[in-house]
Amino acid sequence: MNGPIRRLAIAMFAFMGALLLAVTWFQVVRADDLKTDPLNPRPALTERGKERGLIVTIDGTVVARSVKDPDSRAFIREYPEGEAFAHAVGYSSFLVGNNGLEAVYTSELRSRRDLTISDIVAVILGQDLRPQNLEITIDSVLQRAAFEALGDNRGAVIALDPRTGAVLVAVSTPSFDPNLLLGDDAAQQWETLLTDQSQPLIDRGTKEIYAPGSSFKTVVTATAIDTGLAGPGTTFDDPDKFDLPGSEASISNFGGRPCNDGVSVSLLEAFVRSCNTIFADLSIQLGAVDIGITAEALGFNSEIDFEWPIPRAVWPTDELVGDDAALAQSGIGERNVRATPLHMAMIAAAVANNGVVTNPYMVQRIFDADGQAVETAEVSELGRAMAPETASVLAQMMERVVTEGTGRQAAVPGVRVAGKTGTATGRGDFSNPWFIGFAPVESPTIALAVFIEGSPSSGESATGGSLAAPIASMLIEIWIASQS
Amino acid sequence: MTRNTEAALIIAGSFLAAFGVTLVNFARGGSVDVQTGLTFLVFLIVFGGLQIAVRTWAPRATPLLIAPIVALTAIGFLEVYRLDAARAGLQRWWLLIGAGLAALVLALLSKPSTSVLRRYRNLILVISIALLLLPNLPSDWAFPLKGLEINGSRLWVVFDLGFTQMQFQPAELARLGLVTFVAAYLADHQRALREAHRQVGPLRFPEPRQLIPLLVAWGVSVVILVYQRDLGASLLLFAGFVLLLYAATGATGYLATGGLLALLGGVASFLMFDHVQRRVTAWIAPFENYQDEGFQIAQGIFALGSGSLSGAGPGLGRPDLIPNASTDFIFAAVGEELGYAGSVAVIALFALVVSVGLGIAFRSRDTFRKLLAAGLSFTFGIQVFLIVGGILRIVPLTGITLPFMSYGGSALVGNLILIALLLRISHEEAS
Repeated sequence: MNGPIRRLAIAMFAFMGALLLAVTWFQVVRADDLKTDPLNPRPALTERGKERGLIVTIDGTVVARSVKDPDSRAFIREYPEGEAFAHAVGYSSFLVGNNGLEAVYTSELRSRRDLTISDIVAVILGQDLRPQNLEITIDSVLQRAAFEALGDNRGAVIALDPRTGAVLVAVSTPSFDPNLLLGDDAAQQWETLLTDQSQPLIDRGTKEIYAPGSSFKTVVTATAIDTGLAGPGTTFDDPDKFDLPGSEASISNFGGRPCNDGVSVSLLEAFVRSCNTIFADLSIQLGAVDIGITAEALGFNSEIDFEWPIPRAVWPTDELVGDDAALAQSGIGERNVRATPLHMAMIAAAVANNGVVTNPYMVQRIFDADGQAVETAEVSELGRAMAPETASVLAQMMERVVTEGTGRQAAVPGVRVAGKTGTATGRGDFSNPWFIGFAPVESPTIALAVFIEGSPSSGESATGGSLAAPIASMLIEIWIASQS
Repeated sequence: MTRNTEAALIIAGSFLAAFGVTLVNFARGGSVDVQTGLTFLVFLIVFGGLQIAVRTWAPRATPLLIAPIVALTAIGFLEVYRLDAARAGLQRWWLLIGAGLAALVLALLSKPSTSVLRRYRNLILVISIALLLLPNLPSDWAFPLKGLEINGSRLWVVFDLGFTQMQFQPAELARLGLVTFVAAYLADHQRALREAHRQVGPLRFPEPRQLIPLLVAWGVSVVILVYQRDLGASLLLFAGFVLLLYAATGATGYLATGGLLALLGGVASFLMFDHVQRRVTAWIAPFENYQDEGFQIAQGIFALGSGSLSGAGPGLGRPDLIPNASTDFIFAAVGEELGYAGSVAVIALFALVVSVGLGIAFRSRDTFRKLLAAGLSFTFGIQVFLIVGGILRIVPLTGITLPFMSYGGSALVGNLILIALLLRISHEEAS
């Protein structure tokens, strides 16, 4: 009888061995996959209620903090500045995930305290388990002002320190209150935001690309001066309209008039008045390749080093070589030319910074719970996009845009402001007004891009000069006042 | 190993349970409280008392059985406490009751020895079948003993005294009775069964008429269990019968026929019951059916994966996300909070209990005692395999409890008596 019992005992141990193999499969081999499986609610639930670090602006405004709930002893995340900082700061929600800086710096911001024995070991080894904090380059006064100024418009404002690339303003409208994504009804709120026609969740400043319109003429002008093909005084024929080569279509100026007297016009006058006819002509003379060299030196067609991936700005050199009609349209920032408002602010900053492009950044310092810096931002350069002389000439031309041209509404009393307007063709009858610029011209401390999407009215009241330039003026005025 | 070492291990196990409870308290921001002391005390009384009973009525019993049981009970108890402190309080009472009944079994068997069970096997069969039938009592009559249906299975009996009521699953005790009966029956007919057989190819089959009473016995119990919709217990009982038949006769034909019958029963119940279909669906594709039938298994798998090597720590995981964790999924809760280390320890302890039980069977000279020890060990081992294998997706999940670990009074009482029987057999064989 012991024979069968022995065989059954072996079978029993085979069963136990099968259990050991299966438990090894789930707890060792597949443990990491299971831990992070999107269906597994545990990671979000364990982060919920844990302390996260502060996010504070360079001027000392707290934009994200964790507050201890006296009843549950859990931490609740708060965004005291709400909508104005929603896209830049982002959110950390147990139901809809992380976004913005909260997502990029989630491992620095989270507490490493797990309430396990490994905590004690870590403390003995001298590790700091407390969450780290972010100091961000945003100026809270300017940020709030930009958010207010955009009002009900869809659009974005990006402002940079041209010397360093530090982001001073990063606003996108319409926005949302990130605090709504933290409660128990977060999924419902999320659904409402997702289905909102005005798309408040989209970050128009850094995550969407748009046709830059006439603000792109800065790039074409820089190419002309750099290559020596034309300078501010170079004269061009001044037709009513510019006939696109090999096509029935033509390019005309705003209002359908010639740029100057119908005979000849200087490049400076054409730039100040933003004449499409002249820039269409100039673009064909320069060629897609040369404009492309300047554009790519400014970061077009490549990844830009930022806190999070930003979509590539587009100058399609290959498509435009041999297609002068398309090249003429692209030279005035239409057709397939695209850039984020952040990128257009970088172009203004490059002109302000003697032609050198700096990489934008938003986190100045990561500091520990004792206030000691763990990491400090280092200024990094993308490279030189134009000769210093070119930048200087272009800056003077841009100043004339504000003193006597399409950008007059960007003027600030007592401050030398330089800029360039744009009114790109939007969807349907809508236009997308732009203003890019910097100030003060003699020693620039701010460069910005103001973008408005789908301005409903047409005509003079819907241009970059009338809609975007005043916002730039107001922000520059506030900024210069705060600097003195 | 001696009784004194065993006593030291009982104290260590009681300390383990109290320490676990304290860690759970710490995780909740509490501290050492009355639960710590109470748990330590109850474990000491239960298992210390059991050892005193063994010293008194079965002094030559193996000292290897109680220690792993204390460890398993302690680990299970800390997870039950972590999931539902009120249930843990009840579990302590059941531990006391179970240990009392186990001591009583040792005391009762001390004079007449286990051979009395063989002598009264038919009475035991009748009592077992009556116990199995108890849940089918009406739920709404005036008599204080009522049947009760929970989650679609009619397994419970309520002892309702008006001011208080007690629920228990009589099948847990009936299983012991049926194993005892089968062991006794096979011991009585062993010679006839072994010698009267036919050879069919490589398989040996006994003469059909030798098996009629046995077929009736398991037929009745299986029918009742299927009728009460407890597939796990039905499978467990059937597997126990078949393995015992094979152990008694060495006839491989029993294993083949048994496997075939189990397969047929499985297919039949799959076609007949939609709750079986849901379990099979959940077994094959838990993540694809995450929102409904697959949720429990998926959560169990996530719990195990999230526990990974060292576990979240007592009270620091989320085994509460698993539905019915304290009864069906206690193993996943241990895996999440004590990690792979805890899971492996639990499986190893169960393997140890099974091997000690089978060791007793090996060394038994008396046929009845040999078969009884083997039968009890097999059903114990298969029960562990069915429920842990159900959580680990080796077999479809059946709602049976994990011995000594799941919350549940009847199971605890039944398993403590099972251990008392094994202890008694090992004492008699050593005498």
